[in-house]
Amino acid sequence: MIALQANNINKYFYTPDQFQVLKNISFEVNQGEFVSIIGKSGCGKSTLLYILSTMDTDYEGQLQLTQQIVTGNKQDQLAAFRNAHLGFVFQFHYLLPDFTCLRNVMIPALRLGKVSRQQIEHDAYEKLKLLGMADQALKPASKISGGQQQRVAIARALINNPDIIMGDEPTGNLDTRNTAVVFDILQRLCHEEHKTIITVTHDNDFAAKSDRIIEMSDGLIVDQRMR
Amino acid sequence: MTFSINSEIAFTYLLAKKKQTLVASLGVMFGISIYIFMNSLITGTNEYFEKITLSSTPHIRLYRDQEMSKPTMLDGFAGDSTVNLISNPKMVNQDDRIDNPNALIQFLKTNSQVIAISPQITANVFCSNGNVQESGNVSGVNIMEQDRMFDITSTMIAGNIKDLHSNPNGIIIGSGMAKNLSLQLGDNITVTASNGLAQRLRVTGIFRTTIKNVDQTKCYVNITIVQQLLQKDRSYITDVYVNLKDYTQANRIGEQLTALTGYTAETWQSANEQSIAARMIRDMIANSVVITILIVAGFGIYNILNMMIYEKIKEIAILKATGFAGKHVISIFIFQALLIGILGSVAGIIFGWGLSKGSSMIYIGKGNLEYLPISFYVQHYAKGSLFGIVTSFFAGYIPALRASDIDPVEIIRG
Repeated sequence: MIALQANNINKYFYTPDQFQVLKNISFEVNQGEFVSIIGKSGCGKSTLLYILSTMDTDYEGQLQLTQQIVTGNKQDQLAAFRNAHLGFVFQFHYLLPDFTCLRNVMIPALRLGKVSRQQIEHDAYEKLKLLGMADQALKPASKISGGQQQRVAIARALINNPDIIMGDEPTGNLDTRNTAVVFDILQRLCHEEHKTIITVTHDNDFAAKSDRIIEMSDGLIVDQRMR
Repeated sequence: MTFSINSEIAFTYLLAKKKQTLVASLGVMFGISIYIFMNSLITGTNEYFEKITLSSTPHIRLYRDQEMSKPTMLDGFAGDSTVNLISNPKMVNQDDRIDNPNALIQFLKTNSQVIAISPQITANVFCSNGNVQESGNVSGVNIMEQDRMFDITSTMIAGNIKDLHSNPNGIIIGSGMAKNLSLQLGDNITVTASNGLAQRLRVTGIFRTTIKNVDQTKCYVNITIVQQLLQKDRSYITDVYVNLKDYTQANRIGEQLTALTGYTAETWQSANEQSIAARMIRDMIANSVVITILIVAGFGIYNILNMMIYEKIKEIAILKATGFAGKHVISIFIFQALLIGILGSVAGIIFGWGLSKGSSMIYIGKGNLEYLPISFYVQHYAKGSLFGIVTSFFAGYIPALRASDIDPVEIIRG
């Protein structure tokens, strides 16, 4: 089953001068695949990821996620779509520091509002347990280490059981040990829970261990290799 | 569910920034407490001055006004054969009596708005005790009716108004005149009218209104005394005072009465235009102060929420990335603003009440005003808190709109 399909995606930057960042990008990702997008700085890989994540809507071409066309949807619809179907992990974890870890994980589910609060709390604990963070659940998000924060961020990305998890340099800010932990978690999610994972990374070791590597250069896909 | 998560985030943000929340709430609190205080003070002052005014002026006074001479008589006499002009029309000297006052009073009694009627005659007189003389103004009244209208009883410092009712030759004088003529209860006083006629009367009561002019000149006697002084018959009445259920309606009802009876109706407002003007000016001053304070409080909230949004810009971006739509972000910040508004309103009501209560104990002691006149009306408190919350809402709405427009991509990519 196809989880993501990008057709002829073009993207321009207009300031300071008109500049084409992405040139006719087309590719597909299957459900349960672990894809890494690599490339040099400025090749457009992050720009592509933000388009794939539906946050950036200013592009040409067509994007299908979980077999729905999302191109052309309104911002509010896209927000609801992200809430239900996508999970995010960013380089700088971006937890809400005023809330506890548990509450940080719960917020997207509370937003979705599909199940009761007790159920959400229970699920959030389960996700934290999965990531080995259950014992830190009630600490404020600002009081735990960077590696731990990133694991809480992954738990948050998982809370609504999304089909696709996207990562923008998810290990970019972590040491080797924590990078390995995060990678293992992502791989486990991919293989055991059949989640689709798309990450942008600089880390070639990280990329080398994923199912597929998409290499970009100057706004074009120059190479795709399966492991 | 939608409400609960947005409000929960708003609540957590407010708790995380206790100091800012407190400062913003204090701004609202001061705005509302000053609003309440100013309104209570102004209303209290207005009520006090109205009470003073209405203690000597009836709501409506009916009398026959002097008329300009009309050319109709001349037309009738000279006919159309000549052009009849009166080059210098004068006021016609006519009887200023009210025709058949009993019929007029019966008619007024049928009006459901009228609660008190007091027919009277006034005359300028000289009051003398021995060879000391004071000019005065004597009102011939039915004292019981007059008392119902002006509550003379409450101003009496000696004697009882009933004594005038039972003594046809009695007189009630002001404290100023009593002092000037060195009169006491039971003493005799000679009242002389402009035509030279005099009456010797017995002082049955002394009042003190603290309005110097009134205390030195005003006297009440029975109607018949003035009729005798002016050499008029027993049905001679010049004025009918009317009090209404709702004195603010005086102008409207006065017009009706003029149309129905043909007599001129002078309302308390038209008789005291300067105090109405003073009232309007007081209202304006109060309103401008209150509006200024609410605007300042509003800017306070606006500033603090703006700062908060600036600080939380990354978190807002994250919330949007994880599925919060623009409207959710707006409701988070509106909710914060409203919480600040409610907190400030509650504190403002309490502080405003305390301020009013404290000020109502400030001693003035001039005239018959003892303490600063402050009113306590629930509506001022309700309106104050309503204004506070509405101001907070708008002060929060503008930054909230800005927050909802944040593009998460721009913020997250840096």
